[in-house]
Amino acid sequence: MSKEAKKPFRQSMAEWRQFVYNPNSGEFLGRTAKSWGLILLFYLVFYGFLAALFTFTMWVMLQTLSSDIPKYRDRISSPGLMISPKPDTALEFYFNKSDAQSYAEYVSTLRKFLESYDDSKQSQNINCTPGRIFDQNDVAVKKACRFNLSELGQCSGKEDKTFGYSKGTPCVLVKMNRIIGLKPEGEPHIHCTSKEEGMVEINYFPPEGLIDLMYFPYYGKSLHAHYLQPLVAVQLAINSSSTKEEIAIECKILGSPNLKNEDDRDKFLGRIAFKVQMTE
Amino acid sequence: DDHKLSTSELEEKYGTSIDKGLSSARAAEILARDGPNSLTPPKATPEIVKFLKQMVGGFSILLWIGAVFSWISFGIQLAQGAESPFDNLYLGVVLALVVILTGIFAYYQEAKSTNIMASFSKMIPQQALVIRDAEKKELPADQLVVGDIVEIKGGDRIPADIRLLFTQGCKVDNSSLTGESEPQSRSCDFTHENPLETRNIAFYSTTCVEGTATGIVINTGDRTIIGRIASLASGVGNEKTPIAIEIEHFVYLVAGVAISIGVLFFIISVSMRYKILDSIIFLIGIIVANVPEGLLATVTVSLSLTAKRMAKKNCLVKNLEAVETLGSTSIICSDKTGTLTQNRMTVAHLWFDNQIYSADTSEDQTTQPFDQSSPSWTALSKIVTLCNRAEFRPGQENLPIMKRVVVGDASETALLKFAEVILGDVMNIRARNKKVAEIPFNSTNKFQLSIHETDDPNDKRFLLVMKGAPERILERCSTIMINGKEEPLDSEKAEAFQTAYMELGGMGERVLGFCHLYLPENEFPDTYPFDTDSMNFPTSNLCFVGLLSMIDPPRSTVPDAVSKCRSAGIKVIMVTGDHPITAKAIAKSVGIISATSETVEDIAKRLNIPVEQVNRREATAAVVNGMELKDMSLQQLDEILSNHSEIVFARTSPQQKLIIVEGCQRQGAVVAVTGDGVNDSPALKKADIGIAMGIAGSDAAKNAADMVLLDDNFASIVTGVEEGRLIFDNLKKTIAYTLTKNIAELCPFLIYIIASIPMPIGTITILFIDLGTDIIPSVALAYEKAESDIMNRRPRNKRKDRLVNEQLAVYSYLQIGIMQSVGAFVTYFTVYAEQGFLPSTLLGVRVNWENNASNDFEDSYGQEWTKYQRMYLQWTGYTAFFVSITIQQVADLIIRKTRRNSIFQQGLFRNKVIWVGIFSQIGIALILTYGLGHVTALNFTPLRFQYWFVAVPFAILIWVYDEVRKLFIRRYPGSWWDKNMYY
Repeated sequence: MSKEAKKPFRQSMAEWRQFVYNPNSGEFLGRTAKSWGLILLFYLVFYGFLAALFTFTMWVMLQTLSSDIPKYRDRISSPGLMISPKPDTALEFYFNKSDAQSYAEYVSTLRKFLESYDDSKQSQNINCTPGRIFDQNDVAVKKACRFNLSELGQCSGKEDKTFGYSKGTPCVLVKMNRIIGLKPEGEPHIHCTSKEEGMVEINYFPPEGLIDLMYFPYYGKSLHAHYLQPLVAVQLAINSSSTKEEIAIECKILGSPNLKNEDDRDKFLGRIAFKVQMTE
Repeated sequence: DDHKLSTSELEEKYGTSIDKGLSSARAAEILARDGPNSLTPPKATPEIVKFLKQMVGGFSILLWIGAVFSWISFGIQLAQGAESPFDNLYLGVVLALVVILTGIFAYYQEAKSTNIMASFSKMIPQQALVIRDAEKKELPADQLVVGDIVEIKGGDRIPADIRLLFTQGCKVDNSSLTGESEPQSRSCDFTHENPLETRNIAFYSTTCVEGTATGIVINTGDRTIIGRIASLASGVGNEKTPIAIEIEHFVYLVAGVAISIGVLFFIISVSMRYKILDSIIFLIGIIVANVPEGLLATVTVSLSLTAKRMAKKNCLVKNLEAVETLGSTSIICSDKTGTLTQNRMTVAHLWFDNQIYSADTSEDQTTQPFDQSSPSWTALSKIVTLCNRAEFRPGQENLPIMKRVVVGDASETALLKFAEVILGDVMNIRARNKKVAEIPFNSTNKFQLSIHETDDPNDKRFLLVMKGAPERILERCSTIMINGKEEPLDSEKAEAFQTAYMELGGMGERVLGFCHLYLPENEFPDTYPFDTDSMNFPTSNLCFVGLLSMIDPPRSTVPDAVSKCRSAGIKVIMVTGDHPITAKAIAKSVGIISATSETVEDIAKRLNIPVEQVNRREATAAVVNGMELKDMSLQQLDEILSNHSEIVFARTSPQQKLIIVEGCQRQGAVVAVTGDGVNDSPALKKADIGIAMGIAGSDAAKNAADMVLLDDNFASIVTGVEEGRLIFDNLKKTIAYTLTKNIAELCPFLIYIIASIPMPIGTITILFIDLGTDIIPSVALAYEKAESDIMNRRPRNKRKDRLVNEQLAVYSYLQIGIMQSVGAFVTYFTVYAEQGFLPSTLLGVRVNWENNASNDFEDSYGQEWTKYQRMYLQWTGYTAFFVSITIQQVADLIIRKTRRNSIFQQGLFRNKVIWVGIFSQIGIALILTYGLGHVTALNFTPLRFQYWFVAVPFAILIWVYDEVRKLFIRRYPGSWWDKNMYY
């Protein structure tokens, strides 16, 4: 029954203090030191056991995995597209072609990105037969195919150290996400369009934006250590009349029936959209 | 001014007649004009207010805060032009919907249980004895109209304002109206100008304590004095029931945990340089994870299930408070007559041929098993049949004999039924043995006598039969019948009679002696004029045939119920107005005084020493006479109550009942008291739970009580106690079950914030557990049968044994909850690892993982993922986490069936509803994953089948661990383990 009167404040304060430390029984927060010791020991053992159990089950689970390829790859059946450089502000390029500082970051990113494609780094890579899937299932040590920077032409950074940014013809590298075992069918190539007609002229390196089949399939980080994914450079020659305007570009992978590029939800599956705005 | 008018003036004013009353037609007219004789109920809380209370009560306020935060962050994100601001809008809407839906549900449930309570009060309507159309009629009191003539007797509630016309020792209790605690005497005389003071008016809603009265109704319904005092009608305060207090305590506890963890992690995440907006979203997640959204609805359902179940078992509970208080009862003070006993004299023993025979005294006897072959029995049965004035009311041929209504006093009724059971049609036998003369029983003679023709056509003798007080009967006898032969009554045979008489009397039974005499045909021919006044026939030198003893036998279910109380730590005290010997005999036969225990007097008798020399502490039982009680000091009473475990109070008055109740309460006991009379009301009110008798109880007693026993049976009280304990236990189990998975829902958030792994479970997913898979299983626990120890443990100590105690919270949160989290995390890491993200890769990736612009996120194998591909994997993770929690909740549900017993003792399949729960749980999970797996907004994905089994070893571990816990609790009662692990 709830007929008890409400306790006065001082009394409940005293009870509270008594609860925190009771000098008579030596209880601290309702337990004696010994009792606290026991309960802490119990939880130490209990959680120790759980931690060991967790570690053990995780270990068992990891033992079932191969270190070369993941057990399932169904969540990434088709690759996404990505570009480099990747601006901080959500895939929008803003730069002034006469101000080197405004595009310095893009240039350095590109340079860094292409470092691994440098000839000196590709000494172990072999020249493969273009146009054909390079199957190495039976080989223990998987070879990587050479990707010559020269294929990127004006966007290779060799002739123009600013990748065209200083000339108003900025380069953007388009790459396809690595997926283990993916074998593109047909003749995959990158094709970019601009919504605004006539503002920009688009050039591809290699020509037609072709992605060579010899770079596939990929065998994974551990087996295929020196693998370099093929790149397509897209050079945007922006009309001088269209400066200061935001140009929306969408690149898609075309020509291959097993590479999706029209997914409703995934805006990066086989396609990528970005914006460029150049000032003078 | 009706009190000033004379009788005839009143008759004229109200168009009625004191002898004939109103005509039904006239009464109907007035009823149509004035409306029913009942008070307009006090203005109830408007439904909308009740509804809104449900919307903000309990956890709702926390969820509202969550919803508002969601909307705020939606607003901020929208203003910032973020990618997917609508997620938070939806979350807010979902949270609001959850609150509104559970609110509607709780409101509906409350309305339903209020209806149950309301129907209870309707089941005990007040009746009034009215004279209408010159006939006495029982009418519901609300049908009374002005001008009706009503009769009132002690115990009745006054049905309307009444001007009294005839009274006989009438006293009323006006305390509800004037506050005077002493009963006021009432008469027909006009004694005071003020109608409130005059003696000749009795007021509506007061009670008549004693005497009888007849009066004319002068005001009905809201026009009565009490109806005019509006404040009285509306001032009924609603006290919080203990169960409500317990639930409030629990809500505070959980809300406290939720808010403190939420705020703690808000601070942590802010200091870890998370954005304020993100931190707010975490806060919402933590609150949602911590709050058991479905629990309050579940509790309401469980409570109303119990209310229904109690009603089915003949316990009408006026408020749910009573159910729970009943569960913690430690002393029951019970009446004897009608509650412990059948309230009906029944033949218990017979003595003839120098031998005692026992008769069947059960409620539904149809035959009597004792040996009926002796010719003495034939003679005895003839006397029993013939020397009896009781008769069955006609028209009951189809009823069982024991249920038939008899006109006659209690002993004669008992004999009549006894004879009817053995011999068949008694009325026919009497008709064949025509009665020619009769002397009814009176207190000077102490015998009853009749003379009959016999049904044997060859025997022209008259048969004289006589019954009465055994010693008086024996005085009149010179012979005794042994095996059908008359033998002289020598001192040896008289001794045998004395022994038998003492033995039967010592059992508390009322003993009657029977004798007969065949009058010689030559002295008493056919035409002999028997004259009962001059007694022109022999009344001595008769032939003694036998003894019959009667008792009001205990109800057959009572001994069992008493022993249940005993093992449940509940002391049963008998309080009766009966003679101590009878009281003690009944107490012994139902087990209130156990077979081995002795009273002080018994010990004195056994050791042959004076009562004063007995060590009072040796006696476990005590029979206290009301006369002794009167002279006792409070200390002496306390001493008796605390020193004796088995107590009978005999020859007590209802006033003394109150003293006994108070004495018990001084011992710190929770006292339940039964009562039926008006005078019991104070004791019923004083007791922690007053129990009124539904059949024998007066209105006053029913009003004062918290509970009404429809069948007046003591065993029903014990059933009630069991139900009270059961609901408390089952609510504990439900709460423990529900709280457990909150940790498994909370841990993901905490680890997400601290270790920056991809989010393991979504807020929406959590709601699907709390309000989807978990609801039916937690209701199913309300159907769980009692554990074997439910009536073997001491009553609950209200101050110490909380519904949600430390052990329950700690065991659920820190042990089973953590185990569930571990199991779910193993599944989570397995899903990610098998898709390419090894656990080591996951740590600290949160910022990049959730970056919308990062669409070439590299996994452990060098593959690159777009944002959407990662999100889809994250949802797969949610689903896997959800499935794991569900699977482990199945184990949790099974272990919560018992708190102490092994599951195998309890039986896995006894509670079928649990299985409904388990199947619904898994079914809902299957539908969500595979059926709705393609609806992106719900964040479920079709899951690989093997992931359903990753957590199974952990589910088994939970079961095994809990079995071990229970085993240790049973093995080592009182140990450290028991104290810390038993919730």
